[in-house]
Amino acid sequence: MKLRTTAAAIFIGMLAAMPAKADKLDDIIASGTLRCAVTLDFPPMGSRDEKNQPVGFDVDTCNDLAKALGVKAEIVETPFPDRIPALVSDRADVGVASTSDTLERAKTIGFSIPYFAFKMVVLTKDGTGIDTYESLKGKKTGSTSGTYEAIALEKDMKAWGGGSFRPYQTQADVFLALSQGQIDATVVTNTVAQATVKSGKFKGFVVKGDAPYVTDYVALIGLRQEQGLLNYLDLFVNQQVRTGRYKELYDKWVGGGEAPDLTVKGVYR
Amino acid sequence: MLNYTFHWRPAFNALPDMLWGALVSLQIAVLSMVIGVVLAVFLALGRQSNNKLLYGFSTGWVELARNTPALFQIYMTYFGLGSFGIHLDSYVALLAGIAFNNAGYLAETFRGGLRAIPHTQTRAARSLGMTAPQAFRLIVLPQMFRIVFYPMTNQMVWALLMTSLGVTVGLNTDLTGVTQDLNVRTFRTFEFFAIAALIYYLLAKLITLSSRLFAWRLFRY
Amino acid sequence: MFETSLTWNDILFLLQGAGTTLTITFWAVLGGTILGMLFGLIRATSPWWVNAPIGFVLDILRSVPLLIQFVLANSFKSILKLQVSAFTVGCVVLALYTAAYCAEIVRGGILAVPPTTRRAARSLGMTYTQDLTNIVFPMALRVALPSWIGLTLGVMKDTALVLWIGIVELLRASQVIVTRIQEPLFVLSIAGLIYFLMSFPIARLGAQLEKRWREND
Repeated sequence: MKLRTTAAAIFIGMLAAMPAKADKLDDIIASGTLRCAVTLDFPPMGSRDEKNQPVGFDVDTCNDLAKALGVKAEIVETPFPDRIPALVSDRADVGVASTSDTLERAKTIGFSIPYFAFKMVVLTKDGTGIDTYESLKGKKTGSTSGTYEAIALEKDMKAWGGGSFRPYQTQADVFLALSQGQIDATVVTNTVAQATVKSGKFKGFVVKGDAPYVTDYVALIGLRQEQGLLNYLDLFVNQQVRTGRYKELYDKWVGGGEAPDLTVKGVYR
Repeated sequence: MLNYTFHWRPAFNALPDMLWGALVSLQIAVLSMVIGVVLAVFLALGRQSNNKLLYGFSTGWVELARNTPALFQIYMTYFGLGSFGIHLDSYVALLAGIAFNNAGYLAETFRGGLRAIPHTQTRAARSLGMTAPQAFRLIVLPQMFRIVFYPMTNQMVWALLMTSLGVTVGLNTDLTGVTQDLNVRTFRTFEFFAIAALIYYLLAKLITLSSRLFAWRLFRY
Repeated sequence: MFETSLTWNDILFLLQGAGTTLTITFWAVLGGTILGMLFGLIRATSPWWVNAPIGFVLDILRSVPLLIQFVLANSFKSILKLQVSAFTVGCVVLALYTAAYCAEIVRGGILAVPPTTRRAARSLGMTYTQDLTNIVFPMALRVALPSWIGLTLGVMKDTALVLWIGIVELLRASQVIVTRIQEPLFVLSIAGLIYFLMSFPIARLGAQLEKRWREND
């Protein structure tokens, strides 16, 4: 009798608990669609082709992730400032949008292990007399608001004194400002700098030396409490590297030299 | 179930920075209004002028200012002029954009105000020996400002609200700029923007109240 | 010689953006007008304790930058996990914003009808509702319509701000194309021209209407 009651209680408990247990990962698989927040003015990671369709490293990564999950991929365009709201509001399931894994942001969202790493370089125009990072002192500079490089550059400009720093809302506006001479130079990720110089759309853009910042590791993002999903994302990134797909995508979109090392020496994870 | 826990404490720590930003916003609004009023007087006169060139120029300005978005106008003063090699600082570009917009709207308001003042007054002033500019400055303008004072207050509030658009041309010292800067660093959008909204509301009230006080002091007989 | 990399495809993209601008304007003005008429009527006819709180809320909507309202509404929606698109958020925020202004226009129109006229209507034996529908509304409409047209145009221009919450309307569409072909002045001018063509004819119509009605007075 007692046993039966206990068994029944456990059974009912399981029934009651089951719907609550379905987490984000289950939801994605059940819905058959993976919605990725991707930033599309950040070539070669994300941009639009001449049909104004989304393409890039991040778009392909999202497609791979969807394939691994056995679902369809859907790209949700999010400007940089809209990445987190998109996740919190459930407009997107994961963010594949070159998000730097800062401690400040980790208070709000969850990061996977890094899926890419950027080095920062100085991008300037012919005739500005800028040839190293240090020669930015006293010049007009700008970058994309809130990005890793923007925060570092603004800090240095303030420490040096003189000159100016302008944050723009999109990467596109930064390049527009640079090409028009509103600013003398910007600090951008090496991939973006290469892609931009290579595109030939901007006359006189040149890369002048590295910016001496700590490597900017970027990660996939999900809701902070969705451990199941974040766990899956970690393994996914690991598999991308292990299977050589990471290298393949790197060659396709970035090219030139080795794909960046995603590990940090001397520490776990 | 919410996915979000509010973090108000760090948001309130940023309050001093935001208040400094509010001061910059207010400064831009006031300056743009002063420039706008001066320009608008000339535009309103230009629209009554018989000179084709003057009429065309001022009509073009007014229609352009009134029929395109303010955001577009500010974007144009920065990136549009930039393509001609004219580099305005973000602050100046925003100021110029809002002043352009203010002038366009106020010119129409002023034109209506001018129309309400009987011609006989100008004639009376002239017959008292005033020159035409004197009559306009001493007789017509003061009466016009009395008529258009309320719409001007509205425009002033709009000018303040328009300063929030400076963030699109790289301004990071005004209230929205500071707020956005905090937002992109921490992703605490709601907390910071809610505080910003409150400050904007108080600023708008400040403008309305002080203009009412001003009007009471200025226009009593 | 004048050369551009702007393709017909891009023009089409811009026009699509203009379509989005018009669609948002339509919903915002429709919702805003209905709500605005309701609030305006309440504000013009009810005692202060009903009037004051409504007036306070509407005043807030008019005193906070629309940009901030969009961002706030969008993030608040995110927090509440509401399953609505950014498009809907844009429409709702703009509709409330429109309603805030529309209510003042309607209220102004109703209050512009002289009390003596209304008393005359009542003394002719009309009921309160008859007075409202047959005397006050037709007279208020004349005062309100030109301002309402102005408001509609204002809202259409304000839709440009929805680009901030990720909607590709006319201005955002032009920015997308500028990013690709890097001819800011040319592309932005086209966008400006489209705005002008959408706004100017209606503005003219409004001015004409105002003039004609004033002459009839």
